[in-house]
Amino acid sequence: MNLHLLHQLRLAVTREGVIGRRGFLRGVSVTGLAAGALNWTDLLSLRADELRRQGMACILLWMQGGPSQFETIDPKPGHANGGETKAISTSVPGMQLAEHLPNLAKVAGELALLRSLTTKEGNHQRASFLLHTAHVPTASVHYPTIGSVVSAELGSLESELPSFVRIGRRFPNTGNGGLLGTDFNPFVVPNPAKLPDNTQVATKTDRFERRLALVRTLETAAAGSEATPEIAEHRGLYQKASRMVLSPQMEAFDLSREPDQVREAYGQTDFAAGCLLARRLVEAGVTFVEVGLGNWDTHDDNFNRTKALAGELDQPFAQLIADLKGRGRLDKTLVIWMGEFGRTPRINPRGGRDHFPRAFSAVLAGGGVRGGQVIGSTSSGGDDVADRPVKVEDLFRTFYKSLGIDPEKENMSPIGRPIKIVEGGAAVGELFS
Amino acid sequence: MRWLICILFAVSTLSGGPSSAAEVDQQVAGKSEDQAPLEAAARVDALLAEELFHQPGGTANSDDGTADSASGTVVLAPLTDHEDFLRRVTLDLVGRLPSPAEITAFVLDRSAGKRTAAVERLLALPSFGRNWARYWRDVIFYRRSDDRALLAAGAAEAYLARQFNAGEPWDKLAQSFVSATGDVREEGATALIAAQMGEVNDVTSEASRIFLGVQIQCAQCHDHPTDRWKRQQFHELAAFFPRIGLRPVRNGMRPSFEVVSHDQDRPRRRPMGMLPLGELEHYMPDLKDPGSKGTLVQPVFFLTGQKLPNGETDHQRRDTLAEWMTSEANPWFAKAFVNRIWAELVGEGFYEPVDDLGPDRACAAPRTIDYLAGQFVANGYDVKWLFRAIAGTQCYQRESRPRRNPDQTPFTANCSQPLRSDQIFDVLTAALGTLEGPGGRNRNPQRPMGGPFGQGGPRAQFAAVFGYDPSDRRDEISGSIPQALLLMNSPLIGQAMNGRNPNSTLGRLLAEVADDDQVAVDLFLRCLGREPGEAELTACHEHVRTTNDRVSAFEDIFWALINGPEFLHRH
Repeated sequence: MNLHLLHQLRLAVTREGVIGRRGFLRGVSVTGLAAGALNWTDLLSLRADELRRQGMACILLWMQGGPSQFETIDPKPGHANGGETKAISTSVPGMQLAEHLPNLAKVAGELALLRSLTTKEGNHQRASFLLHTAHVPTASVHYPTIGSVVSAELGSLESELPSFVRIGRRFPNTGNGGLLGTDFNPFVVPNPAKLPDNTQVATKTDRFERRLALVRTLETAAAGSEATPEIAEHRGLYQKASRMVLSPQMEAFDLSREPDQVREAYGQTDFAAGCLLARRLVEAGVTFVEVGLGNWDTHDDNFNRTKALAGELDQPFAQLIADLKGRGRLDKTLVIWMGEFGRTPRINPRGGRDHFPRAFSAVLAGGGVRGGQVIGSTSSGGDDVADRPVKVEDLFRTFYKSLGIDPEKENMSPIGRPIKIVEGGAAVGELFS
Repeated sequence: MRWLICILFAVSTLSGGPSSAAEVDQQVAGKSEDQAPLEAAARVDALLAEELFHQPGGTANSDDGTADSASGTVVLAPLTDHEDFLRRVTLDLVGRLPSPAEITAFVLDRSAGKRTAAVERLLALPSFGRNWARYWRDVIFYRRSDDRALLAAGAAEAYLARQFNAGEPWDKLAQSFVSATGDVREEGATALIAAQMGEVNDVTSEASRIFLGVQIQCAQCHDHPTDRWKRQQFHELAAFFPRIGLRPVRNGMRPSFEVVSHDQDRPRRRPMGMLPLGELEHYMPDLKDPGSKGTLVQPVFFLTGQKLPNGETDHQRRDTLAEWMTSEANPWFAKAFVNRIWAELVGEGFYEPVDDLGPDRACAAPRTIDYLAGQFVANGYDVKWLFRAIAGTQCYQRESRPRRNPDQTPFTANCSQPLRSDQIFDVLTAALGTLEGPGGRNRNPQRPMGGPFGQGGPRAQFAAVFGYDPSDRRDEISGSIPQALLLMNSPLIGQAMNGRNPNSTLGRLLAEVADDDQVAVDLFLRCLGREPGEAELTACHEHVRTTNDRVSAFEDIFWALINGPEFLHRH
């Protein structure tokens, strides 16, 4: 059997959860597999399933530090806890946002605001992990981050681009492929204005190919024509990596190909560039893109700092929604805005707000989510969830419902313990009605 | 440099060929101070033969490493030749390739005990401790619950390296990790607690997994139908740790953490964003009423049943547990270590994964590991003794084969496996001839690199791409796209390979050596720790001829060696 095909088959099988890598490589011999342990009909049905879901994508706008809900999604202008922040009307009657988000207000018809998120994790690292995996961190199980889950479930096997891209500064405890393996780790682009590291071939293409051919020649000279699993895997990897760097699709990473007016519509910041890059990547077939915006940890001077951050957020976020909508991609792209927790109703003596996981907000758009609605509410002072509490497991079930991923699916931990994608909870059904 | 290559080239045509089993047998009867580990090695081979190969005496060998299913006898891979042995043992013990000079000296050495002597020489190098310190640093920190724990990784590495090199016995080392207090940037032994940010249940799980090889954390929430450890037993183990704490400290301008004992006042309030608040005693949560305090449990060590009363101090609890865990009454402590080191050296553990042992787990050769672990205890948990014993076995010294299928007999060959990130980094920097390596200069070489991940420094950056959890099954470690991209396209590696730079490794080599074969031999030695075979040499010749540009052709060859599968694996 063609080894490249084998590699892909392994991925196909893994993502269907039939058997893990170990099972594939060890439990079933290669000939056994070809002979019928998994027959071609099974394989075709796997592929059909994949085709059915193809095209769904997700963009996570990750607000590291814990954005203040009072200054963004859940303003409380009539209450002392709301501080000096005013609310503004949006394009949806009765739906208000904080005054710092005027552009977002214009696309409110596409947004579903969740104002009743609640968790127990008030520590940045643990909460970041929780809001990326739907699990609290433990030493014994490496829970995969949402981008890895989505790329494992939906990523295209044929794509020449990575299926999970993470853009921007590295934020701790945002997770990786974990028990799904390195195939599903994020491909990291630290600076969206630059092409990703090590993706530019230093030599002319013909010399690069000559070098790749020499690798194969020397490998055959050393090992003979029979490929060990080690060599087979290496071949598959180099084939994929070299195809990627030589692919015309890599242009998706190059923002300089966008017209000036498009770049201006998003704005000039790194986060704006990240949002535009996310849109380009999703259009090029990337399944999951995470774009980070940090420094929301406003323990002091909350009002000035959050105003500046919201200003940085507003235009690119709104433009991303409008652009996806205008290009007909919004229905198939779930956009998530969230951080690890919210901030305290009480304003501390330094004019700051502290960590507050008890009642905070997130935003969803696209991906089949009905926009222009608000889910849940907090009490008048924002101290508690007043209506429709949404837990992390509910939130993640909602994401996976939008993307067509079964949250009950079990992946195996290294010691053979089945781990569900999401344990417990229920999707927020109203979002899809 | 030229004379060295000439010697090497001469040597390569004179020597070679596999060593004989008889030669290794002679080593067993070698120098008197080596008697004990080599006798143990011979006994291990004999036990494996009895348990697995159905051959009394364990001397059977053949030219091919496959099982003969027709006759029911097991066919063992032959012993490696000297070059392969030296490459393997150098990577395994000190984490790098042998230098051309070491290869020459080893191949020219005609003495019968030269493999044993090579092991001794390598064990005496400071890089032995460093190599294994990095391994254990990764064991501890890949399972961290929080990235801030990486503050402690540098100190842990330095501490472990010092102790391994000084010959500190494993029981004493393990005890220090269980008992540690102090600033995590200063006291390397705090790593176990720091990696879990002082969280009691996670520290309990990791102490058991790492030092006992028992995954008792499965019982944290409920009794497991297929496992003998009960939920009560997990929490009785956790009851040794309720008084540990981790508090943020400022050490000069550097933020850090300190592992402390809370024997009187636990902080009353948990400051927002701070670390978990604990009790003076451990309470097993009530599953039906998670909000309640739960049931008070007494510290009991599940493997021996030894107990402490409630009310003891933190130090009393942890020092006592450290002693019980590492006592001879508990065989799993020695087995867990022996299993890991065996798995690293032979390529497959008696138990797999290497940190999942216990009376209910399948063992590939129970009598063999019982014997080896017993000898390890009898030799005072002497870490270097164990390396001598395992490296002295025929099992270790056999040719490597790809990982077997489950229906094939284990340990008929050494099993090839992917190198760890630190090994690849050291091999690469040595091959390229740059001390600082890709990523630039380490500005403060006195300070150990922050650790395996993203803490700055080229080694850490490299680890972010090539690192893996060493407790994971090695046959489940797969390569990744960013790894290939880095080796193919990194501008720093590309610059270091530039043959037109007269100061680069390749530039100097091409200027000094006119003979293309000799240049090829040198590049193979640098990148792969071995000379090229006939077919490889021919391929290089052919490449130089068709490229019609000597410098470009050798740049290509250099590139191809670093980007080939052999570069990333140990055989």
